[in-house]
Amino acid sequence: MNLGQTTLRFRQNSVRALEDVALRAAMKQAADTFGAKRAEAFAPVSDLEALRDRASGIRDEVLADLPRHVETFVASATRAGATVHRAKDAAAAREIVAKVLSDRGAKRIVKGKSMVSEEVDLNAHLEAAGMEVFETDLGEYIIQMAGESPSHIIVPAIHKNRRQIGRLFTERLGVPYTEDPQALTRIARGALREKFLSADAGISGANFAAADTGSLVLFTNEGNGRMVTTVPPLHVAILSVEKIIPSLSDLPAFLRLLPRSATGQAITAYVSVITGPRKPGDATGAKELHIVLLDNGRTEILAGESRDILKCIRCGACMNVCPVYRTVGGHAYGWTYPGPMGLILTTLLTGMAKSHPVVDASTLCGACAEVCPVRVPLVPLILQLRRRKVREGFPDPKERRVMAWFGRAAASPGWFSLGQRLAGIFWPLVRAVGGKDVAGRLPPPARIPFRRKAH
Amino acid sequence: MNGEERVRLFLENAAKAAAGTHLLPGPEALRDVLAGIVPPGVPVYCPGLTAAEEAVADLFPNRVADYADAAATVEEVFGAVAETGTLACASVDGRAVQAGLLPAHHVAIVRRDRIFAELDDLFAEVVSAPPTNLTLVTGPSRTADIELTLAIGVHGPERLDIIVV
Ligand code: SF4
Repeated sequence: MNLGQTTLRFRQNSVRALEDVALRAAMKQAADTFGAKRAEAFAPVSDLEALRDRASGIRDEVLADLPRHVETFVASATRAGATVHRAKDAAAAREIVAKVLSDRGAKRIVKGKSMVSEEVDLNAHLEAAGMEVFETDLGEYIIQMAGESPSHIIVPAIHKNRRQIGRLFTERLGVPYTEDPQALTRIARGALREKFLSADAGISGANFAAADTGSLVLFTNEGNGRMVTTVPPLHVAILSVEKIIPSLSDLPAFLRLLPRSATGQAITAYVSVITGPRKPGDATGAKELHIVLLDNGRTEILAGESRDILKCIRCGACMNVCPVYRTVGGHAYGWTYPGPMGLILTTLLTGMAKSHPVVDASTLCGACAEVCPVRVPLVPLILQLRRRKVREGFPDPKERRVMAWFGRAAASPGWFSLGQRLAGIFWPLVRAVGGKDVAGRLPPPARIPFRRKAH
Repeated sequence: MNGEERVRLFLENAAKAAAGTHLLPGPEALRDVLAGIVPPGVPVYCPGLTAAEEAVADLFPNRVADYADAAATVEEVFGAVAETGTLACASVDGRAVQAGLLPAHHVAIVRRDRIFAELDDLFAEVVSAPPTNLTLVTGPSRTADIELTLAIGVHGPERLDIIVV
């Protein structure tokens, strides 16, 4: 993702999103489907609250001493035969990956879904270095073909409907038009199979990394994650440091929570646990495994008041229930991570100067915190950022002036009742000037103000 | 949970995840079941690494050495988990775990004494020395990336059959 210092245009993007009829229909369908599936998947889990406590506790334990867990992971992974690289920031991560690949003459790269690779804008960098990078997750494959970026962390092409995808495949792959998801999936399977078999290297992310065994854990449904990590001779995994869990035996708690929260499945079709590269006597695994551990601001977040956002396991449940996300979709946020979790992470990772408009992208209704499987305190975290935004002088000047006037008027009974009377008198004018836009959204002032009724 | 319950729960959950399930009365029945599942003459990868695999290998006249050329893989797997109807495939004894991934049809043989009740039981066994690759497989390959509509068989098998012996 571009880290340029232009301010994110959340409001302007939202207005455009609201006018996009196809997008709104897709978002509505997605929200409804996810909500229903999630509830259904959790229904048979009898001790859900205890399970959430356990998972939340494990994440707290990791954050309480992240540097130690990172050290343990590095030692274990190295012992298992992997080469571990530490990347301070996005630029360092891009350089490391590019160098590992180019040193080995890798030209054709297959890639599994990885939000961290989006965060560091990896594809563009590798392509500029003359490599061909093929996204292999179906959703990512679709948006790469369309030249877009993901709008959801689990279902990247959620903003596109089947007709748009059908037309895209016809245009770019030259296949006869179809809008049947099963047929479109089969076309992608055929096109990508050949890429897997001829690739020089695979790049993946990881959902978790176990400190005690040095294992990487990937949750996937399609099988592309398995292909990317076992078929090419070289595997490069890129993940951010907070993905670490203390032990591989902690994994079951997350196996039970993450897929249910993300897609409403009891477990994903595939879970890969990869411990080092292929060893003598093995017939599975890349011959060489490189793990890039990205910091990119996490150490700083860990030391500050927002550290709890690092508990996040990226399930996407908070965005699926967020009334703002459900209305405007992921692109409006303007950076890699959307939704409640995303607005927090975006602001922390890219800075208030760039991101202050997305701090507004919440109604504070609390639906996000209610569904979060690892109990990330999303609402307090958003409130903290809003306070910081005011402290650092970023609110919209017009909004500030109006709020200051309102504050003064509301504090004085005389001014307040005058205001109420004036609102009643000027309402017809407001309606005439503002038209349907205002009258449709703003309730008319009460004929007899509540204050007078109460007396 | 006793052994019988584990087997029943495992098969029930595996079926929910769209796997074909087969419970054998005895080892002799394995050949009959396989003959019914794998169409005659298709290229089959059956590595012959275990006694069960060796005992059925001659059923497949068109046996291939490279799984990438196979239409079906028939193999015995490391174990299974009743809680989720999951197969545990591991790269032990020189097994190629990706052989269960590339062909369109995956037939997995599971010994009933290798069915764990819960995920925790499986991880407790492997945590001290995990294999290079441990893959949990629950149902065939799937996606909902297009309008959240389920499509089966993306990059992995579109058909998964499980035989408990
Ligand atoms: S904050 Fe919680 S609900 Fe949101 S993506 Fe992270 S883990 Fe999931």
